[in-house]
Amino acid sequence: MNLLSAVADGFVEVRAHAGRTVLQTLGVVLGVASVVSSMGLFAGGRAQSLKYYSQSGGVLKVTVFPKDVRTVTTTARERASRGLTIDDMDAIKASVKGFDLIEPVMTRELQIRTATLTRAYEVTGVGPTYGELQELLLDSGRFINENDVATREAVCVLGANRASDFFGTLDPVGQRIRLGDHLYTVVGRLTYREFYWNKQENYNSLDWMNDFIIVPVTTLQGRELGAGERKIGNIALRLVDRPTADTALPALRRILLRRHGVEDFQVYARYERMKEMDQQAQVYDLTFKAVGLISLIVGGIVVANILMASFRERVCEIGVRKAVGAKGWHIAVQFLVESVVVSGIGGTLGLALGVGFVHIIAWLLDQYAVLTPGMIAAAVSCACGVGVVSGFIPAIIAARLDPVVALRYE
Amino acid sequence: MSDPLLNLSGVWKTYDAGDLAVHALRGVDLVVGRGEYLAIMGPSGSGKSTLMHILGCLDTPTKGSYLLAGEQVANLSRGRLAELRNKFIGFVFQSFNLLPRASVLRNVELPLLYGGLGRDERLVRAREILTRVGLGDRGHSRPNQLSGGQRQRAAIARALVTEPALLLADEPTGNLDQTTGAEVMQLFDELNRAGQTVILVTHDPAVAAHARRIVRIVDGLVEQGEEAAA
Repeated sequence: MNLLSAVADGFVEVRAHAGRTVLQTLGVVLGVASVVSSMGLFAGGRAQSLKYYSQSGGVLKVTVFPKDVRTVTTTARERASRGLTIDDMDAIKASVKGFDLIEPVMTRELQIRTATLTRAYEVTGVGPTYGELQELLLDSGRFINENDVATREAVCVLGANRASDFFGTLDPVGQRIRLGDHLYTVVGRLTYREFYWNKQENYNSLDWMNDFIIVPVTTLQGRELGAGERKIGNIALRLVDRPTADTALPALRRILLRRHGVEDFQVYARYERMKEMDQQAQVYDLTFKAVGLISLIVGGIVVANILMASFRERVCEIGVRKAVGAKGWHIAVQFLVESVVVSGIGGTLGLALGVGFVHIIAWLLDQYAVLTPGMIAAAVSCACGVGVVSGFIPAIIAARLDPVVALRYE
Repeated sequence: MSDPLLNLSGVWKTYDAGDLAVHALRGVDLVVGRGEYLAIMGPSGSGKSTLMHILGCLDTPTKGSYLLAGEQVANLSRGRLAELRNKFIGFVFQSFNLLPRASVLRNVELPLLYGGLGRDERLVRAREILTRVGLGDRGHSRPNQLSGGQRQRAAIARALVTEPALLLADEPTGNLDQTTGAEVMQLFDELNRAGQTVILVTHDPAVAAHARRIVRIVDGLVEQGEEAAA
């Protein structure tokens, strides 16, 4: 007896009892659907985060902020904090390994004057690798370079929104603009960037890139803040790779704590955020999988139950099969195949339903959904597993049936 | 009779029915040679069904010896019994017992499937035997599309497809009218003339009359063996 003809026989049985099969598959359908849809939604959320990260400096980006003393309960020492300084950054550069890019970031609100408007804007002072660190893209011109920083050049790079605020559709590169008390030459314009977490949301999560007015950090320090100013807004860093994170991040925190004596700073590492998210997702994932598993178990019991009913109906047939030479395992395989065929149909329907669910929920919540081959494999193997497990007991009972008893059975 | 096909000696079959043991067979001795045409007769409750089950390797004796083609059947495993049934025995039942959802051809090839034959050989042999019983054109019908006589002939084809040493028929005309019953009996006669060993189990003297030897069984004992007038 070959498997193919056993599967064909299984389908004949299933077709002969279409209504019963529908009932039989229901539990498996719902179980697989819930597993697939939960996996799809979480995979969707994770993929969105990764996409956002990859468009704004990657998972390896780390930022050190001074702790915001106005919004959190703080100790007197924390309130006395002087924030982050250039010296902190130099200390990090000197003694913490595992970061390939380290840039200070200073911000200051300055009065901007162009031919058409006068308004206060936030100006950001950074070093030459800041563009690479944040993955800023240039539309035209160039970014701040080493030379600009060394000679405190009066140059600036404009985000797309600012460029059009000040110059309309005109290419701003080469134009001059007054920031505070000095005239600056525009050397570059950033590409317009956008990212929406939800499909219909109108908040552009990358708009901060479009709002940039970037100047060399030394220029901002020297010309606008006074050369003695050591204080910086935040420090942007990039990890060499993921494995270094586990040693580099604690070292970073340690050195800052040693220098400040108190935790008046915050280290925000996307790598850690990702790990947290994955842990959270694991909890949700587990919950949904448990729910799916319970429906699969219930589905399996239904499959087993109906298989037992079909067994009782076919006792005589089993007797005949045995009379003409079927061995126990022939009968067992027949029942198992039937159960797997039924569960397989259930699994396929469940997969289709789950995919539908994912897209409907994603559409209702304006979320993105993702389906991976792994999920499809999980759904199919779940269904087949249920088939084998639930078919097992009826198969054993059928296989052990005494042919004399079976033939007498009416 | 040298090298008999079947040789039963002192066969007992005892069932436990609650406290008391029921002796369905109480020491049956029976020898059947190759090419014989035998009828086993007896009233209901006489033990003839039990005897048939043992002859057909569906059941094993509680006590005694049963040699089938020289092999001791009395204490074989279920798997080995299934192999013997597949190889040596063809069953014909009163109620035909065709699988309702399978085609006639599929029903007939079933024993070969369990015997492990390949698809092509199964189909060739199943078609051949269907032609022999006069159903060459009905292979793709369902059993319920056939008349009673045709169904029994399909069942006989299924019994014969493995070329068994023994054809064992249990009341083969019990569900048929007289004319079709006679046709089926004619088929058994022809098969026996061609050398097939046939055992009929029946309570109908008209059916038993086709056999060349009749064995009567009463209260679990073989009463007599007589040569029927052919």
